[in-house]
Amino acid sequence: MSYQFDWSVIPENWELFWEGAQMTVYLTVMTMALALVGGLVLALLRLSPSRPVRDATTAFVELFRATPLLLQLYWFFYVLPATFGVGLSPELSALVGLTLNVSAFNSETFRAGIVSIRSGQVDAGLALGMTRAQVMRRVVLPQAVWRVLPPLASTWVSLFKDTSLVSTIAVADLSYNALLVRTRSYRVLEVLTALALMYLVLAYPQAKLTDWLYRTFRVEE
Amino acid sequence: MSALAARGNGLILAFEDVWKRYGTLDVLRGVSFTVRRGEVVCVIGPSGSGKSTLLRCANGLEPIQRGHIVFEGIDLADPRTNLVRVRRRIGMVFQHFELFPHMTALGNVCEGPRTVLKMPKDQATALAMQLLRKVGLEHKAHSRPAELSGGQQQRVAIARALAMSPDVMLFDEATSALDPEMIGEVLTVMKQLADEGMTMLVVTHEMGFAERVADRVLVMDHGVVIEEGPPSEIFRRAKVARTREFLNQLHWQEDQDQPSPSPARS
Repeated sequence: MSYQFDWSVIPENWELFWEGAQMTVYLTVMTMALALVGGLVLALLRLSPSRPVRDATTAFVELFRATPLLLQLYWFFYVLPATFGVGLSPELSALVGLTLNVSAFNSETFRAGIVSIRSGQVDAGLALGMTRAQVMRRVVLPQAVWRVLPPLASTWVSLFKDTSLVSTIAVADLSYNALLVRTRSYRVLEVLTALALMYLVLAYPQAKLTDWLYRTFRVEE
Repeated sequence: MSALAARGNGLILAFEDVWKRYGTLDVLRGVSFTVRRGEVVCVIGPSGSGKSTLLRCANGLEPIQRGHIVFEGIDLADPRTNLVRVRRRIGMVFQHFELFPHMTALGNVCEGPRTVLKMPKDQATALAMQLLRKVGLEHKAHSRPAELSGGQQQRVAIARALAMSPDVMLFDEATSALDPEMIGEVLTVMKQLADEGMTMLVVTHEMGFAERVADRVLVMDHGVVIEEGPPSEIFRRAKVARTREFLNQLHWQEDQDQPSPSPARS
């Protein structure tokens, strides 16, 4: 006897899916907004003339790049309150974990963009009498940011999908709510298939946008 | 003579026994010379002789290991010297132009006055337009560097440096990256600046320009100034054998007819 598909479980629970999708989008947007700032700050710290500042920042970045995001989320949700008595809500734990993780990755992207600007540009700014900070703000960053738009967009699409990990710390995102529907309805195949399709429909346009950014902002020198 | 003591006799820039090392390589090995206000000093010499390094030390882009570089009585080698303030008064033009690609020609010329001098926008724009007119590129004010020819980019770069009203202009092989037909238009602008009395330190391979425009020529080889004198002497009666050898390698002959720079204006 073959399995009888019953897709009615999806429309019947559309509110849960809708709310979950909103949480997923919210987490992605908030994380990226914070991680753009965080990544830029970390990148500048890693290029600091002070050795201790550089080393500390590098250690921070490598810690978050070299450990699983899932573990980081667990840590902020379970270890932080148990060890330091700081209890964050699931949503806040998720946001903090995701932001620190993506900041670490963004900092590498920004750093690559900054060092890709040829030194003659820095010299030209300095020769005009600019301070190092003015050269960074007026000359280097405006060029570097355009160059790293494509890799930042790739990170964005990854982040959008990786937010599904927050379901493990009880944040009601798209995955969490879908798994909830699965458990209640026992309609495992329908729910998981629908969930995959939902991520695809949401992420596909973002991926296409990324491709477009790659084509548009390709560096030609 | 100490350059520090020599303020007031028209001295604007002095190198005193300047040593510059990259790793184990001595690029400058005890370079001394002076530039007086209104003078055009051209620096010539074979590749790798330290000409460009010398220029980059003159505005503190490169630190030196020994000696003094004195600009208007300020010692650039003194760690207490605020190099940022000194550089406002020294213009520099680069071999590869180094215009800011994300700004228009006008934006490039406005950048120094706006960001460094905090000049009001209207005033900076008026100044920049005046300078673009001076280099013959008023009509390209709103073009991006990528839309300009090499010669045009370099003229914008000269205008950008002039916008800071510098006391001295440094030219680092300003025409070396240009197609031959564009060299003339840049040299014309440089000649015009020299005629207006701008103090200029010019690293160049354009011997014709050096001969016509320079008040003095420095010949460098292996990190030292091997000969110094008026162009008539250097190019016709060089005392140092290495100078004559270098000029011969460039097929520079005493009676050579030099084409005058075309007064190119696009």
